[in-house]
Amino acid sequence: MRIISLQRVLRSGILVAGFVLVASMAPGLQQTNKTASTAPTRTDRAEAKPDKVPMTTSSKAARHDYELGMLNLEDLFFEEEGLNDLRRAVKADPGFALGHAALVYFTGDPREEKREIELAQQNLPYAAPDEKLLIRFLVGTKDGDLIEAISAINDLLAAYPKDSRLGNLYGGWLLDVQNFARAQDVLQRVLKNDPNYYPALNNLAYAYAMNGDFSRTSRLMEQYVAMLPGQPNPQDSYGELLRMAGDFKDSIKHYRAALSIAPNFIDSQIGIASNYALVGDEERARVEYLRAIAMTSERTTKLQYRMLWAMTYYRENHSEQGRKEYIALAALAHKEDLAVSEAECYRTMALFNPQPEGALKDLDAAQHALMEKHDLPRGEREAEFATVLKTRAFIAARAGWPEVASRALDTLAAFAEKSRNNVVQSSYYSTHGAVLLLQGKYTGAATELQEDPRNPLSLQLLANAQEKAGQVPESAKTLAALAAIYDERVETAAIAQPMRDALRRTNSPPTQANSPE
Amino acid sequence: MAVFFLAAFAAAAAYAADLAVIVNPNNPTKAMSLGDLDKLLRGKTATWTNGHPVILVLHDPNSPPMKFVIEKVMGLSVEEGKAVLNEVSHGKSGASIVFVSSDEEIVKAVEGNSAAIGIVDVYSITGGVKVVKIDDKQPFDRGYVLRGRTQ
Repeated sequence: MRIISLQRVLRSGILVAGFVLVASMAPGLQQTNKTASTAPTRTDRAEAKPDKVPMTTSSKAARHDYELGMLNLEDLFFEEEGLNDLRRAVKADPGFALGHAALVYFTGDPREEKREIELAQQNLPYAAPDEKLLIRFLVGTKDGDLIEAISAINDLLAAYPKDSRLGNLYGGWLLDVQNFARAQDVLQRVLKNDPNYYPALNNLAYAYAMNGDFSRTSRLMEQYVAMLPGQPNPQDSYGELLRMAGDFKDSIKHYRAALSIAPNFIDSQIGIASNYALVGDEERARVEYLRAIAMTSERTTKLQYRMLWAMTYYRENHSEQGRKEYIALAALAHKEDLAVSEAECYRTMALFNPQPEGALKDLDAAQHALMEKHDLPRGEREAEFATVLKTRAFIAARAGWPEVASRALDTLAAFAEKSRNNVVQSSYYSTHGAVLLLQGKYTGAATELQEDPRNPLSLQLLANAQEKAGQVPESAKTLAALAAIYDERVETAAIAQPMRDALRRTNSPPTQANSPE
Repeated sequence: MAVFFLAAFAAAAAYAADLAVIVNPNNPTKAMSLGDLDKLLRGKTATWTNGHPVILVLHDPNSPPMKFVIEKVMGLSVEEGKAVLNEVSHGKSGASIVFVSSDEEIVKAVEGNSAAIGIVDVYSITGGVKVVKIDDKQPFDRGYVLRGRTQ
């Protein structure tokens, strides 16, 4: 897997379900991660390098915990372990700006992110010059100052060409923002300098897969698995990449192999559950999701997993039960002051609501949740708000309501003008595409919708626009791409799955996917 | 592996441009219109305000980013654009064009020459160059013109 919180996956439209990780590990392995001597390759490598980015802290404990956190988060994908390492680092030295910035970058908890942005900025003056660049990258990618963030990381890559982790960090972020070609360049360069740097192997395989090139992923995964036979993540990544390709049976085998190495490697547990959900065995999926829920202690992660569990009811067309569960989850999110998750719950209900009027009311509730006073980073709020508006435009397009779509566009345009968040921007293009589609401007609609090429809502509207514009072969290709999306997003469950089912009914199977036995 | 899946994605693949116009930090230019950029590319503007000759550092005209630039900025077909750029590169206008094969080479050239201007993937920029606004927008702004997709 790669560390992408479920919230980020759902909102960024990335195909892969790279999930938030691990509550705790197998006892033996847990000890391994806690001791420098057995947290082998990465820590030793990092400490041996004189040319890595400096860090400013007088606390030995903070330095050690930071290194351990980066090992767990960037290299071994034990997210909860890694986050707790970073939390310990900044507790040991509250003035450790780089530690705060790393927490900003990796946490999935909006409240923590907002607090840590402030602390990283407060303590920035104490950091060394190159350390400041790294902090600018880590924080800039979250608070929207992307030009500064990009120039900072490129300056660091030039100054520290042997720092493989730095290149991998950038490569991983490029995957998050869906610049797969550039990610490949950066990661290939890392591997050219350091052919055995396994985290880059992992990310490079994802870069190829997300770009639709599965022909190169198997070799990289075989290499990755062989390099780290005692670690669960290589097996987990292999499982996930196979699932992306629709090979559920082999995917589950690799996920189970990961769990046999580390029984509490939660991402693999989620992967198994989602495989069952994707092939329609919802009862089994629920059992597996419940296991995963019990394995995490991160509140945002737990809620996200509960949402996946509840989605199984919608997947099997038990809409009333699905709605009931999501109403309960929205209430829980509200109680926990997790506004984005609360909005996601209402957005899910909207997408599965067969009545467009009711769906718009659900989206009103989502917007209301976001408008309330919350301790939430602006970027998080804007991204979800934009996604809600995009969903509103999609529902309006399906219902044939141009005025509703136009109002959503007006609202979105007002803040998209100032936002550099890629989710906000792609949502704007999609919403504009929906409006143009409703106005009968099909070619223009297609152009706009192509700017959001990995979102099932946009793809469905794009296929419609292309067909009406007379671009029939392009429309068929778009539908094929839509039907071949295998991930856990609500948009996939609501749009891509029914598309696959419809294609199957017309004897036109979307994939040669094989199901678990 | 799903063959159909691969075919679908391969068919949907397109070049996604996210380009930045960059100059040396010593160049006072902070913004220009799309028309100004077009004039630079056509050699119609051959000197900077300080009188120094403009040096364009660009990808090969056959490369995806330059095809995008030729279509979007110059409003020409790729073949027409190549002809115009080749004419400028032969020095008739006073400006010069250097064609290179990577963003890194463009960035390095612009970092090292205050008269140079380049167009690169925004994800390649460094602190040694300055990003120029085009039509009052910079990369990642909504409606920024050097962003889009081509087949």
